[in-house]
Amino acid sequence: MIEAQLSWVMSLILFFSTVYVTLRLDFLWIAFGIISLSLYVLPIATTRNPFKAIPWEMTALVSSPILLHISEGSRALSENLAWWDDLTALAFAFSLSTIGFLLTVELQMYTTVRMNSAFASFFVVMFTMAVSGFWQVGEYIGGLVTGNLLVDTNGAAMGVLIYTAAGGITMGFVYSAYLKVMGRERRQMFGLVHLWEVTIRRRG
Amino acid sequence: MMQLGMVAVAVGGIVTVNHTWVPAALVSLLVSAVPTILRRDLRVVLPAELNFWIVLALFLHVVGGYSGFYDTLPGWDHLTHAMSASLVAAIGFVVVVALDKYVESIFLPPLFLAFFIVMFTMSVGVVWELMEYAIDQLTGSMLQYSLNDSMIDLLFDLFGGFMVAIVGTYYLRHTTQEHFVESLQLDEAKGRIGRVVRRRRWPYK
Repeated sequence: MIEAQLSWVMSLILFFSTVYVTLRLDFLWIAFGIISLSLYVLPIATTRNPFKAIPWEMTALVSSPILLHISEGSRALSENLAWWDDLTALAFAFSLSTIGFLLTVELQMYTTVRMNSAFASFFVVMFTMAVSGFWQVGEYIGGLVTGNLLVDTNGAAMGVLIYTAAGGITMGFVYSAYLKVMGRERRQMFGLVHLWEVTIRRRG
Repeated sequence: MMQLGMVAVAVGGIVTVNHTWVPAALVSLLVSAVPTILRRDLRVVLPAELNFWIVLALFLHVVGGYSGFYDTLPGWDHLTHAMSASLVAAIGFVVVVALDKYVESIFLPPLFLAFFIVMFTMSVGVVWELMEYAIDQLTGSMLQYSLNDSMIDLLFDLFGGFMVAIVGTYYLRHTTQEHFVESLQLDEAKGRIGRVVRRRRWPYK
């Protein structure tokens, strides 16, 4: 129960951050917020069970980059610490791969899509890198439109992509290990990791 | 025809002491022979259109590099990028459709397939740009001119991916999936691979 409550707290952060970026018409982050919120709400809404919230550590990973994006403290740190931007890029990668993971799970729950765990891991990695590619292009176009390029050199854009590639590949492995390590009770409580469970059982 | 063109580039490069593009031409020639080798040894038949597309993309790349079109013709880089991206998308498409058919635990409806192709192409595009970046950093070459260049590359990759996703789903709707996969003749190929493996293993039993 405490886990679901932690998860709710994290999702509230996500919710209010989304409201904030909506007020500031920050389109990429609005899309990010809405997609991750709907992935969060979907299992709760369909099972009508508030305790079917996704695990809190995943909610934390999903909501961290948007919080970092809007926080003034983070902006100050990025000006003063050389490695702070690397950290936020990595947080972004973890968040994207978590969204990719949730997507594989919820596609399994609500559509006829079926993947096995190898394909799902591949999907997580691919999703992370593709979305970060879209994101760079989106930021670039947004920058051209508003005349204010946030990522203004090729090196900076490639730096972000390198971190998402590294983070995505890491998380592809982490998530396939994650569910093997996770206790049976906890898995049953969430009841949304069906697809990964099946392949675990098959492997023995 | 186009393979002959690549030979011409290789020979011409050696004759005119312009060696930069000779290895690229030779490698492309090898790669363009892969479908033929697949057909001869494994009897996997790639669709003729795809085969043509592979050779065309390689041809444009090699000719563009050799003749300096990359530098002199403004749209050349984008053209080859859209070509190679659609090629990657098409190969991804073939592989994913085959996976869908042959791996029982995988089922992918057409809409998801289209989504997957676009994402796949984009991620390969990102990997590609990272490779260009890495090569530039290591060798001091100028594959990526600027942020504009790499971002527009990605946009064209995206365009190529979209095209294949649309054409691919259209294609599957009009020839059934079974027909498409059968035309690849993977069944026979699987049997053949199995036989080779069995033959190899047998003495060690």
